[in-house]
Amino acid sequence: MSHQRVSRRRMGIALLVVFLMAGLLVTRLVDVQVVRAAELKEQSADIRTTSEVIWASRGSIVDSFGNELATDVDRYDVSADPRKVGEFRRDGEVITVPAAMAEIALITDANPDELLYAVNRDREAHFTFLVKSVSPEDRQALRDLRNPWLQMDLVRERTYPFGAVTANLTGMLGTDEPLAGVERKYDSCLQAINGTATYQKGADGIRLPGTTQLVEPPIHGGDVRLTIDSDLQWYVLQTLAEHGSNLGAQYGSAMVVRVDDGHVLAAVDWPTFDPNDFSEAPIEFLGARSLSSPYEPGSIMKSVGIAMLIDAGYTYSEDRIVAPGFYEVYPGQYIKNFLVADNRQLTTAGVLQTSSNTGISVLADRMPKAEATRYLRDFGFGEITGIDFLGESSGQVLPVDRVDALTRYNQFFGQGISVTAAQMASSYQTLANDGVRVPLRLVDGCMTSEGEYVPEPVGEPVQVVSASAAQQTVRMMETVVTQGGLRNTLEIPGYRVAAKTGTAEIATSDGYGDDRVISLAGMAPAEDPEYVVLVSFYKPQASRVSSAAAPAFHEILSHVLKHYRVAPSSEPAVLPPLTW
Amino acid sequence: MTALAHSAARAPRAQKPRAATPTRQRTKANAVPKLRYIAVLLAGIFGILGGQLLLSIAVSGGAYEIASLKTDLRGSQQEQQIVGEEISALVAPDTLATLAGSMGMVPDNNPAYIRVSDGAIVGEALPAEASTSGQVFAVTAGTESLVPPRIVEDVFLTISAAAALEADVVDALAPPSDEPEFAEGSMAVVSAVSVPETPTPRFGGSIPSPVTR
Repeated sequence: MSHQRVSRRRMGIALLVVFLMAGLLVTRLVDVQVVRAAELKEQSADIRTTSEVIWASRGSIVDSFGNELATDVDRYDVSADPRKVGEFRRDGEVITVPAAMAEIALITDANPDELLYAVNRDREAHFTFLVKSVSPEDRQALRDLRNPWLQMDLVRERTYPFGAVTANLTGMLGTDEPLAGVERKYDSCLQAINGTATYQKGADGIRLPGTTQLVEPPIHGGDVRLTIDSDLQWYVLQTLAEHGSNLGAQYGSAMVVRVDDGHVLAAVDWPTFDPNDFSEAPIEFLGARSLSSPYEPGSIMKSVGIAMLIDAGYTYSEDRIVAPGFYEVYPGQYIKNFLVADNRQLTTAGVLQTSSNTGISVLADRMPKAEATRYLRDFGFGEITGIDFLGESSGQVLPVDRVDALTRYNQFFGQGISVTAAQMASSYQTLANDGVRVPLRLVDGCMTSEGEYVPEPVGEPVQVVSASAAQQTVRMMETVVTQGGLRNTLEIPGYRVAAKTGTAEIATSDGYGDDRVISLAGMAPAEDPEYVVLVSFYKPQASRVSSAAAPAFHEILSHVLKHYRVAPSSEPAVLPPLTW
Repeated sequence: MTALAHSAARAPRAQKPRAATPTRQRTKANAVPKLRYIAVLLAGIFGILGGQLLLSIAVSGGAYEIASLKTDLRGSQQEQQIVGEEISALVAPDTLATLAGSMGMVPDNNPAYIRVSDGAIVGEALPAEASTSGQVFAVTAGTESLVPPRIVEDVFLTISAAAALEADVVDALAPPSDEPEFAEGSMAVVSAVSVPETPTPRFGGSIPSPVTR
């Protein structure tokens, strides 16, 4: 009997213990699951949940053939936690810290002493950069070192594979935002927005299945397509660099425009900069002067002036005039020619061919100044071109009431009016295209990341002068090439070329100084022009006459004809007489 | 225990003999199905648990596979990028010009064309001058790095080596100058090709040229 009682008591104790323990567990359960549930859940999620950036790439800028001029690439920033930097074992071999740094330095072309210093400077720091922006190739080599304290983080970087070739147009990207050019102007097309995702991972770093959540989807940027032919652009830039430095010019600009659609095939500024590393580049060479810096163009404007006069019916190619040695604007104020000459019996074609300032003044006198101003505006002077470049200058055409007695004549030979190289090229496109000005075009369109092509709006063509006036002017410009002093430099065997030279004085605070802008503008083949080329050098020192720009113009135009396989001219030129 | 059980079992039988018999019979008859029921139930539960375990193993296995495939994908993308960057460096006009110059190519600004429609030669073919061959000018205001990327140098070396080798081979194969350069058979073929009976216009009779957008 007592045996039974003992066992019953034991049973009671056991039960009590069981109940007590169960009670404890239930309390704990309630505490964890109900009372502190939210807090704990949050903590655990924090520990396990990792958020990752889903990189979106900024769109590329491509040329008309799809060559990438600006594009995003993967780079890696190499860093370390100085507290954890120490020697480690690899394949049974001990790698000391200096040895490890030497390995890293060898791969990344860094200085091993600087790497050591970066770590030793503050051993208590939690983070230090070792090498920034390492290529994927080098990153792989670094990973193969199996260095436990080496960290590598992906960064997206902008590169410009062709370097300086189109830098003036693409502009560049700063640390936070695009700084200039197409990069900035077309940021809305190019822009990418990184996405984020969260996921939970286990102790081994593997993400737990089914825990990935896309918080923000990445939005990739679209591609901007330019009308530029980067091969041609390169050639033109090389030519400008060669001749510009030989001339000792301060800078030079050149443009190649396709006549029928106004596409800018090359828009070059020399010197330029390398958009991959522009920190040391002089600020004045960071832009596109051909679009942003207006200048007084000089005699290349005479072709435009004569086209205006013919269109309005004031003259024609064979019109006979007497160009005086001096043209008196008002007592004491004379217009003179580049080479002082006596009275000459010239035709209008002869005025253009000899670039006679007095001759064109005689002709300009026939056109009221309001009419001249209206024509100049129709040619696109005084307003930005269809390119609509960031920071593009509109140049200046004086309002009629400010055109004084002298400027009235000066405008016809490119003084007293300021234009950009792009506007000048556009006016020659008009002459080449039977008087129809097709707004210039540099950006063709935007290919969105969804694959939809959004073309840039096409500007309305304007009939500025009649086809006959334009063609007569082109014939006259041919005489500059066939009968002028530059014949040997300008002629291209097999092709008919029309061109006009210009030497403009540069205005300073006290009148016109000794410095010049020398230019050549023209087109080929003259019987049905397909391409317009304009070359300008600013402040050349070796030679200050326009003939110094001729070799560069000739090389570029020859290259254009060859590059685009333009068939040689078959019709012989019938050119107007120059004198009478 | 046995005595106790007996007395307990016997007592109800004495009191309610009729009811006892069917109860015992039912217990005996139901014992086997009940056991089977429990067995099936347990087997089912363990089966489900086992299945779930296997599924979860498969899912986590898949997670590892996804992780490894993602690493592979990333690796391939990197490789693609590395190669893409190399191509960009190689097609850059600067590089092409330097490489062409190193192979002795010079720009010719006076090409002549053969008009495909009638076979006429248009333009004046003049020999190219080697005045600016191979020279690439610096185009920036003194900030340009003229050091070509590694890949470009590699290709440059390869091309130079190949060019040297080819020059040797050409020298070795060159026929002595007093012998005719072509065997009679090949001459016949050449003349047959060069004088077609009727000119056949190809490419629509125009000269092929690059088209820009």
